[in-house]
Amino acid sequence: MEKRGSAELLNVEQSNSKNASSDSLNSDSKSSSLNSKIGQESESWEKASRSKSFSTSSTSTDNNIISALETNKENQGKEDLNLTGNETGPPLLNGERVQGVARDVTYLCPYSGPARGVLSVTNYKLHFRSIDRETPYVVDMPLGVVSRIEKVGGALSRGENSYGIEIFCKDMRNLRFAHKQENHSRRNVFEKLQQYSFPLSHNMLLFAYEYSETFPDNGWNVYEPIAELKRMGINNDMWKISKINDLYSICDSYPGVWAVPTAATDEDLQSSAAFRSRGRLPVLSWIHPESQATITRCAQPLVGVGGKRSREDERYIQLIMDANAQSHKLIIMDARPMANAVANKAKGGGYESEDAYQNSEVVFLDIHNIHVMRESLRKLKELCFPTIDETRWLSGLESTMWLKHIKCILTGAVKIVAKVETHKTSVLVHCSDGWDRTAQLTALAMLLLDPYYRTIKGFEVLIEKEWLSFGHKFQQRIGHGDEHHSDADRSPVFVQFIDCVWQVSQQFPNAFQFNEHFLTTILDHLYSCRFGTFLCSSERERVQERLKERTVSLWSYINNQIPFYQNPLYWDGPNHQLVLIPIASMRYIKPWKSFYCRWNPSMRQQDPVYQRTRELLVQKEQLKKKAEECRREQASRTNRTLNSSAPPRLHSPVHS
Amino acid sequence: MESKSCNNFISYVGFEEHEMQNLGSSRRNSINENSIKLLPGEAVVAKGQNVLMFEPVSESKQGISGVLSITNFKLTFVTADDNGDDIYQQNNLYGYTDTCLSNIDTIYLLMGDKKRKLVPGAVVPSKVKGIFIICKNLRTWSFSFKFSPIGDGKNVLNALLHHAFPTKHHLLFAYEYKEPYYSSVDKEVQLFRNITDWQNELDRTYSRGIHLKNGWRLSTANVEFQICPSLSEYIIVPASVTDSQLFKVAQHFQGSRPPVWSWSNEQGAALVKMSELCPSITERTQENIMLENIRKNHPRKIQPVIIELNKDISIKAVASSFSKFVHLCSPESVRQFLMQENNFYSLLESTKWLKYVSYCLQKAVEASEQLNNGVPVILQEGAGRDVCCIISSLVQLLSDPYFRTITGFQSLLQKEWVAAGHPFCDRLGHLKNDGSKKSPLFLLYLDCVWQLCQQFPAEFEFTETYLTTLWDTAHISIFETFIFNCERDRIKAATDPNTRLVLRSVWDWREQFNEQDILLFHNPLFNHPGSSSPSYAKGKSAFLKPLYKISCLEIWSQCYFRWIPHLVINNGGHNQIEMYARLLQNDVAQLQMDINGGGGISSSPIDKMSTYLLQMNINSFYPFSNKKSGNTVSTPIINTSFIMSESMIDAESLLTAPD
Repeated sequence: MEKRGSAELLNVEQSNSKNASSDSLNSDSKSSSLNSKIGQESESWEKASRSKSFSTSSTSTDNNIISALETNKENQGKEDLNLTGNETGPPLLNGERVQGVARDVTYLCPYSGPARGVLSVTNYKLHFRSIDRETPYVVDMPLGVVSRIEKVGGALSRGENSYGIEIFCKDMRNLRFAHKQENHSRRNVFEKLQQYSFPLSHNMLLFAYEYSETFPDNGWNVYEPIAELKRMGINNDMWKISKINDLYSICDSYPGVWAVPTAATDEDLQSSAAFRSRGRLPVLSWIHPESQATITRCAQPLVGVGGKRSREDERYIQLIMDANAQSHKLIIMDARPMANAVANKAKGGGYESEDAYQNSEVVFLDIHNIHVMRESLRKLKELCFPTIDETRWLSGLESTMWLKHIKCILTGAVKIVAKVETHKTSVLVHCSDGWDRTAQLTALAMLLLDPYYRTIKGFEVLIEKEWLSFGHKFQQRIGHGDEHHSDADRSPVFVQFIDCVWQVSQQFPNAFQFNEHFLTTILDHLYSCRFGTFLCSSERERVQERLKERTVSLWSYINNQIPFYQNPLYWDGPNHQLVLIPIASMRYIKPWKSFYCRWNPSMRQQDPVYQRTRELLVQKEQLKKKAEECRREQASRTNRTLNSSAPPRLHSPVHS
Repeated sequence: MESKSCNNFISYVGFEEHEMQNLGSSRRNSINENSIKLLPGEAVVAKGQNVLMFEPVSESKQGISGVLSITNFKLTFVTADDNGDDIYQQNNLYGYTDTCLSNIDTIYLLMGDKKRKLVPGAVVPSKVKGIFIICKNLRTWSFSFKFSPIGDGKNVLNALLHHAFPTKHHLLFAYEYKEPYYSSVDKEVQLFRNITDWQNELDRTYSRGIHLKNGWRLSTANVEFQICPSLSEYIIVPASVTDSQLFKVAQHFQGSRPPVWSWSNEQGAALVKMSELCPSITERTQENIMLENIRKNHPRKIQPVIIELNKDISIKAVASSFSKFVHLCSPESVRQFLMQENNFYSLLESTKWLKYVSYCLQKAVEASEQLNNGVPVILQEGAGRDVCCIISSLVQLLSDPYFRTITGFQSLLQKEWVAAGHPFCDRLGHLKNDGSKKSPLFLLYLDCVWQLCQQFPAEFEFTETYLTTLWDTAHISIFETFIFNCERDRIKAATDPNTRLVLRSVWDWREQFNEQDILLFHNPLFNHPGSSSPSYAKGKSAFLKPLYKISCLEIWSQCYFRWIPHLVINNGGHNQIEMYARLLQNDVAQLQMDINGGGGISSSPIDKMSTYLLQMNINSFYPFSNKKSGNTVSTPIINTSFIMSESMIDAESLLTAPD
């Protein structure tokens, strides 16, 4: 796959631009890998119709190449796999089966108007294909993104398209289908949709357990905790690997392998765990390769109203401080607003008092809790979907507070970076439980500090380590297969993190090996339940569920087609920057339109950054080819001269 | 980082360290006096010693001490450790701590925590503590006279008020500048000052549509500006309209401007600019005659559409929008900067600046679509010298690839702005006036062009650096291009025996910059028309259709935010993409040279990059950034002393606080 590489991208690009307006592979420009699994792209009808009205610009097709390629590739594979699919039925993945079909259904597209066609439900996805348009209009959506399903209208409702189903999604869109008002025409698909969107509520398995596909590289092997710690130089004088939590007996939401100060005994760890919420004691996230300043993470101390103290925890924190010879201070970054931290005392939590923890400094980062973030994203969806009110777009954006929250998280991460990098001081990060805001902050700070995490594999490791192994509760936050859409545990914390990554990538366009499509793909499969990666809420649960054996890793899928996710601008040559300091100013923080507004065709005709990237890829390839030709020419010339002047040699002397 | 930065500022002197201040100053003075660089014809008119200059958007606690001088051309601040190499883009005419007087927009008198706007002719108090200046290119200056000899502040301020807002055109520095001039303007750039440029343009547009009968003709009726003072001497009019008819028709239109041709597409559909009828004229006969002539001369006799540009936009509205927008780009203090952070997006919306950008792009798209359907388009507005210029040149950029090259773009500016009589002198405020005529329409246009460059990064030969530089250049009162209201004024000044103004064109970029800086105007991503790159594959229409909704627009941060040190992204920003592309080109050029034995033969400007020394580790405002800023502005204020808005701790979050 890798070998196919970008040369092929080029060819596709050329063929694409030749028949720009009639390109039936013209896929969803946001190239959602979910959509691109099928031959006809979801919005292709709109694309085609728009290109009739005016000829497309040079670049409007460029950003479809990736998904077009993916489509090609997947279709090739499908020919052998797809046994059940027929002419009109949806293309199926291995392990996917059609569960229900409704004919004579109208999809009420908020952009291009109603389209009549066939709606199919499988154990993985919803598939709609129009029959009344020249170029079929296709909606293809994994049921994992469904948040709730409602019946609209009853048998007696009047008016056209007043009877049907409305589907509310987790990925910033809603879908509406209208059915014929006779014979309970919607009943079957509605029930199937309910069942397969919320399998856990119906005592069924998530699709990931039924899906099977083999990839050359097993993504489950991407993250090896010990190898990653070794990469950071551990064990060393001050830090050691501990397997005390091997059976998840000290902390059931932590990984089995930790890095802790060498000086800490198992008793130290146990007693610190006892004083931390849910046993989440401070362990290492990252260590600076030169200064040995560290980022450690934990949950809040169990201070409570009475102001309890734990000598052992204080001593343990002192060990973390002592492990860094460069500084006699430790900064404790409490992600919460101070008011929240204080309020937590009432529930037995709280924060470190600077009197008890000597030489430490507590800084509050003012990041709000999961409920505030959920509400903020809900408002953002209201603003972005289905259409945007241009007259109040900017002020509306402000009123969602979403960008302000992003700014806050970025600011927090930059503060951590400044302490670790500039002041060589170790930082301990926590919030309440240490699995939401803490994960955002440590992961972001590590991304800014360590170029490794800005590569594709490094970013996968970062997610595996800081999010998955340290117990971000993906199951609860996303609510995989669960019908309780208003569950207070749901929150877009991980989406917010990816948004922050995107913001940084906007400010440093050549610091990342991956492109926007990579981030979008991760978020698509955060919900899709096709892969096992984001299932369960802790390493312990994943081991219990034997996810590695029973499901496919998202990284298997992604690493099998690396060229699609590569940023052509990535620069890791001389002078490349080790540490990124983004500017967390509202003047730079932007709405991620190509993600949040991607369903709106009028918003996505051109995505300048992505487009520019595509253009550059092409240009780079041309330049490379040119250079290659030059080199070849040079080589042959050198060969000729050598041949004429020197005795023939066995190997060509030029290629190194 | 913060502590490090303080050590770097050897010359930074706190207000409290009064004694130390005096110690160093005498030495500096002697250095300073010799180091004011003057142009031929330039003279110092006022000087302030021991003036403190503050970092923009700072807390104005620490400043650099130096001598602030006012000449008849610029404001210049000279300090002991000033060296001219502090900036990447170096201007031959002025330095980094200078600004041309024509660039000065508003001057405020600082009085403790308050400030008072000073208008030209205002009475200056005898004791001037400090001044704050906002420039038209959004740069700000903040000076304190606290340690200056008594009277220096007043003198400087008086000189500034007098010379920055001249009352007569011949008081502009262009008339004083004595440097001999030998034009080296690219001959390809058409100035539209002589008849051949017009004829060529007419021929060029018509040669593309092969079998078209040319319905337009070049008229010399306006030679010596006999019909209309604000149009060029040569105009292109419907072929069926006689010169005598023109004379008659013109009188019915505002500014005596008859409808004139701007451009035609392959289908022979013409783009026409037309002013409104004079308010005193009630019957529309003359207008209708012209409309009928335009229809008749269309190859398929298609009725033209009129796009009125006076409804949702006006010169005043743009001016007031921009004056609000300026506050977001030129905050005077950190405090103000951080306050704006709290509700930046709603503040931005309330300026309406993006709304006007959106409006212009929308109208341009509308007009282009009509033309693309073969329908002639008439742009109509008051005297047809303002919004008309924006829309007509945007339409041509969208439709005609020639204008997306640098020479094409410069020719377009000459045709649609300079020769068409956009009143640059009034709109840019080169002279003291009541302010009612001042309006940054040209910047609005440049912003629109920038948006196009963002949406079509490979379609334009020029970079955003070029556009930003163009806006800076509009305020240098040395070049003729942007200091006149119309061709008649320009020709008068050049031929008047009393003034004998030398006409230096802005397009003579070497007057200002060296080759390296000029190379930064070339977009390395540009697909030269005719190149084999896929996006220029055959059959592709040249018509660009940009997105124009506000939600699809961006803020031109290079132009607007470059003077705010807190917004510098070290090793980041969009120009990294450009740098990366240049690197690739360098490699290729190097290879080509190697192969050709050093004789890489190509006239493309980009190939010159092989000799171009790439600046690595550039920041986001390169090449406008101060080289030092990378080291001195430490972790930005927003990140370290973060002032959390009260509104963030809102009731909602407190309710759900214990999580």
